Amino acid sequence: MLELDRISKRFGRVTVAEELSLSVRHGDAVGVVGPNGAGKTSLFGMISGDLAPDAGEVRFDGRRVTALDASVRCRLGIGRTYQVPRPFTGLSVFENVLVAAQQGAGTRGRASYALAAEVLAGTGLADLAGRPAGRLGLLQRKRLELARALATRPRLLLLDEVAGGLTDPEVAELVALITAARARDGLAVIWIEHVVRALTATVDRLICLAGGRVVGDGRPLEVLATPAVREVFLGTEASADALTEVERDA
Amino acid sequence: MRYFAVFVLVLLASVPYTLGPGVEQSLVTLFSLVAMATWWNLLAGFAGLTSFGQQAYLGVGAYGLYVLALAGVDPFAAIPLAAALAGVVALPVSVAVLRLSGGQFAVATWVLAEIFRLAVTLSPGGDTGVSLPGISGYMPLLRQALVYWCALGLAAGSVLAVWLLARGRYGLAARAVSADPDAAAASGVRVARIRRVAYCLAAAGAGAVGALLFTHTLYVQPGSIFNVQYSVLMMFMVLTGGLGTVEGPVAGALIFFVLQQALSAHGPWYLVLLGAVGVAVTLFAPRGLWGHLGRPLFPIAHLRET
Repeated sequence: MLELDRISKRFGRVTVAEELSLSVRHGDAVGVVGPNGAGKTSLFGMISGDLAPDAGEVRFDGRRVTALDASVRCRLGIGRTYQVPRPFTGLSVFENVLVAAQQGAGTRGRASYALAAEVLAGTGLADLAGRPAGRLGLLQRKRLELARALATRPRLLLLDEVAGGLTDPEVAELVALITAARARDGLAVIWIEHVVRALTATVDRLICLAGGRVVGDGRPLEVLATPAVREVFLGTEASADALTEVERDA
Repeated sequence: MRYFAVFVLVLLASVPYTLGPGVEQSLVTLFSLVAMATWWNLLAGFAGLTSFGQQAYLGVGAYGLYVLALAGVDPFAAIPLAAALAGVVALPVSVAVLRLSGGQFAVATWVLAEIFRLAVTLSPGGDTGVSLPGISGYMPLLRQALVYWCALGLAAGSVLAVWLLARGRYGLAARAVSADPDAAAASGVRVARIRRVAYCLAAAGAGAVGALLFTHTLYVQPGSIFNVQYSVLMMFMVLTGGLGTVEGPVAGALIFFVLQQALSAHGPWYLVLLGAVGVAVTLFAPRGLWGHLGRPLFPIAHLRET
């Protein structure tokens, strides 16, 4: 459903994508790992339309979307969350989700209210519906990011570190939400995460990015075991710890 | 609330018969302030576009009225046409200015208004100003009453129109754009379209006010109608009243109107005080006086159905 065809992107001397090709099928759950600056978030930007690649092509359902506006891609079925939550402050939690239901999913009137209410219930935000979105804690903000993306009725969901900064039980809650959404809507997910444990529990395919290139792509544990990925990961102490943790779990 | 609003409107509509031309004249000023602030608020408060150049469309409205009246259209009938003209002129302009946002947008709109002013000044006979043709057929008393009713209709219609826009699908999307344009686009909001609609409607609203002011003063000059002070005024009223609320601009217009009536005898000190009020409200009541004190009479929030 999604194909990236040799996309390249540079910011000055920093290469965030170098002839990067990637394809994701309907219903896939793909995890993305890699060190800081590997180009993970930029990759999402180029898929969702926040960022234009210097070269290469992005196709969604066989249609070229490289030059399309982010809003159009969203309406086609690409939903995303932001690493640092970006709620519409000044709007209530309900309104945040409602605007996504109306504009992204194209629902109107009562149908849009019903969709927003349904998504809020599904993400555990129903009790906070009336609260201003600016006055939410971190877990709630992350939930709202997810709720807003789901309310656009995506077929491909891009999750950018939804588990970052949360405690283990909170991570487990979010993982359950995402698993439920996948089971219900059959949507494809691409998930960037530093919390490798959360990823390996959910995804069936893992991609490792470094320097704007794919250095590993396959079953999660196999990818983590390849020398190239190990080299990338052992660069930092924390990542090495994460790796051992995952291996222990396995 | 609805009955109260209708009652107030009827009461206000009867002013030409009851309170006479003096009150009538000041209320025309108040109503044009309300309309001006309300449309500026659609742009800045709901769509997040702070303009310093709405005087461009006051001018287009006034001079549009002049051209229409010169062509033989009745001046009062021509007010909506002049407003539509301002909206149409704004469409190609929006393509250029909406490439910018924030401070750059504000400055660009101001520069653009200056270009409009210069263009009118440099056109044949433009620098001296013009009188409104085709108005002499009206008896002064009737003319003043008609101006008054037009002003009342414009103010009430503007508040109603912006309220209906703000509480609907469009307004919700506009508020999202104003909060975070990128995240709004990622949620499916057509950001450019939302901004364009706000810009053109605000221009049409300003155009209507400009045309109305012309029927009130019967004389217009590029130096006065294209004055940036109008945009400063709009900003003062909306910020003191409450940005992004329907009631805010009305409250702000009332505050300004009262201050102006009470203090204008003191010359420049009145401007100093006005500035001080603006600073104080921005510092201590950033949501504006209505935002802090008032309950929404015209609610725009979307509530979950229970």
